[in-house]
Amino acid sequence: MEALRSAFTFQKTDLWIGGVLASCLILFPLLGPSSFAMATMIQFLMFSIYGMGWNAIGGYGGQVDLGKAQYVGIGAYTTTVMLLRWDVPFWISMPIGMAIAVGWSFVIGYPLFKLKGHYFAIATIATSLVLKDLFEVWDFVGAAKGLHISPVKYPPPDFKRLIFREDIYYYYLLLAFFFIAILVINWFRHSRIGYQLRAIRDNEDLAKSLGINVHWSKIKTYALATAFVSAIGSFHAVYIKNIEPEDTMSLDISVLIALMAMLGGAGSLWGPIIGASILIPLKSYLKTWLGAKAGLVGIDLVIYAVIIMVVSAVEPRGIWGMLQRFKRKRN
Amino acid sequence: MALLVVENVTKDFGGLRANDHISFQVKEGELVGLIGPNGAGKTTLFHCITGHHRVTSGRVIFNGREITNLDPHQIARKGLARTFQVYAATGDLNVLEYVMVGTFMRTKSPLKAKQKALRVLEDMGLRDWSQRMVSEIPVPAQKLVTMAVAVATEPKLLLLDEVAAGLNPTEVEEVKETISRLNREMGITIILIEHVMALVMGLSQRVIVLDAGRKIAEGLPHEVVQDPVVIKAYLGEKRGEM
Repeated sequence: MEALRSAFTFQKTDLWIGGVLASCLILFPLLGPSSFAMATMIQFLMFSIYGMGWNAIGGYGGQVDLGKAQYVGIGAYTTTVMLLRWDVPFWISMPIGMAIAVGWSFVIGYPLFKLKGHYFAIATIATSLVLKDLFEVWDFVGAAKGLHISPVKYPPPDFKRLIFREDIYYYYLLLAFFFIAILVINWFRHSRIGYQLRAIRDNEDLAKSLGINVHWSKIKTYALATAFVSAIGSFHAVYIKNIEPEDTMSLDISVLIALMAMLGGAGSLWGPIIGASILIPLKSYLKTWLGAKAGLVGIDLVIYAVIIMVVSAVEPRGIWGMLQRFKRKRN
Repeated sequence: MALLVVENVTKDFGGLRANDHISFQVKEGELVGLIGPNGAGKTTLFHCITGHHRVTSGRVIFNGREITNLDPHQIARKGLARTFQVYAATGDLNVLEYVMVGTFMRTKSPLKAKQKALRVLEDMGLRDWSQRMVSEIPVPAQKLVTMAVAVATEPKLLLLDEVAAGLNPTEVEEVKETISRLNREMGITIILIEHVMALVMGLSQRVIVLDAGRKIAEGLPHEVVQDPVVIKAYLGEKRGEM
């Protein structure tokens, strides 16, 4: 009960931001957006939720995790394989995917969190790449050519399997996930583990002297972050309908997830959402406008690199941190 | 019965022996000073007691149970709290939230943790700072916050590591007052590392002196300061005032 209440307890500023954001997002499809704008918004919502998951361990916990793509993959593959092989509906395969992802996160989290700083970051990249390589040769999951969900076989609209022709269905479903994610993170940051994790980021020795099992707290939070990412990975599969190891589990995705949260403000409620609202449209437009021209492929990566350098030099707490500093100066 | 028993604790860092067969006991309710020149091994000894360092040999017994080389969080949960000499709070937790992290050791509910934390802040005279960041408040208040966080875990034994360093005489008096209250009113047993002699001598019922990793003296404050071995450790061969 107390957990539920704390999930719905917001500060005044947060309520304002949340209210405005919610109204804009709910009304957006009524403006009759182009299919390109709609697709970009769906990407924005998906990456916001990935980012919120990352933010639990990466922002509040200060553990720079560059391996979130493996959990996108686990979610996406669990849902697709279960659908294609046993006709399991999305609403069952998604929680199963989350359970598998969380299980896997405990297995690799135990050794990973024995590492600190850069070593931890590099190890997370490695685990993600290893899993991707395994999927590329594993015939059961379609190996490198991946899996395809045919809308012919599952005629839309199919609410059980989440197969639709129009993006608007996906949009509103995702929006519901988005609000749930905000509530979960809001609970988390005011929970015992949330406070303990923030103390760990500040000073591990002090945290230990306050009775906090640092290793276990990190693993638990990592599992929570994982559940977020896997759930949206499942969604990604039924939305895109075509998954391969390369585009669900690549390093680009892991980096983008982390980068968004850092740009917007690691360790703040709105940070990942702000980051996604900048980087996702940027990515979409760059891809269509510049990416087609020869010689400009990969320009988005250059821009990410510039962003990460500027953020770490100017304000490590990202855009949200800048806003906070500005506010404090005025007071 | 002794609350803390330190038995022949030795700590080596490679070839350097930072603690050399140190033994002493602290009874429940006592307030003991731990002094010695820089590099004597005082903080290392604290680290060995709280599990932040693994001891090379020897035993630590707390409240009748052996705690040698347990993890720091396990030792903390048995009721042994400490402060740190170097303490930089750069995070986004404010004073109240920091103290809450302490109360969370014994409380699951955020609501109760907050109430308990507010009570601790009230007791320590920090109520006015509760919504400020630790780095924003004056140094004497910061020192009290580090103590408040430790006190919030409801310890039986509290190890204070140079809480009065860098304070002026008036501020030292305030800290002294608080430490004395923790000991007498709240019944917390305290071991105190301190260079500020006015504080150690005024507060401690007993003083232990370390030099070069060894215990060189133990006794009442006024006895210890007259001990030739102690004077030599602090001032070298020549005689003088401490």
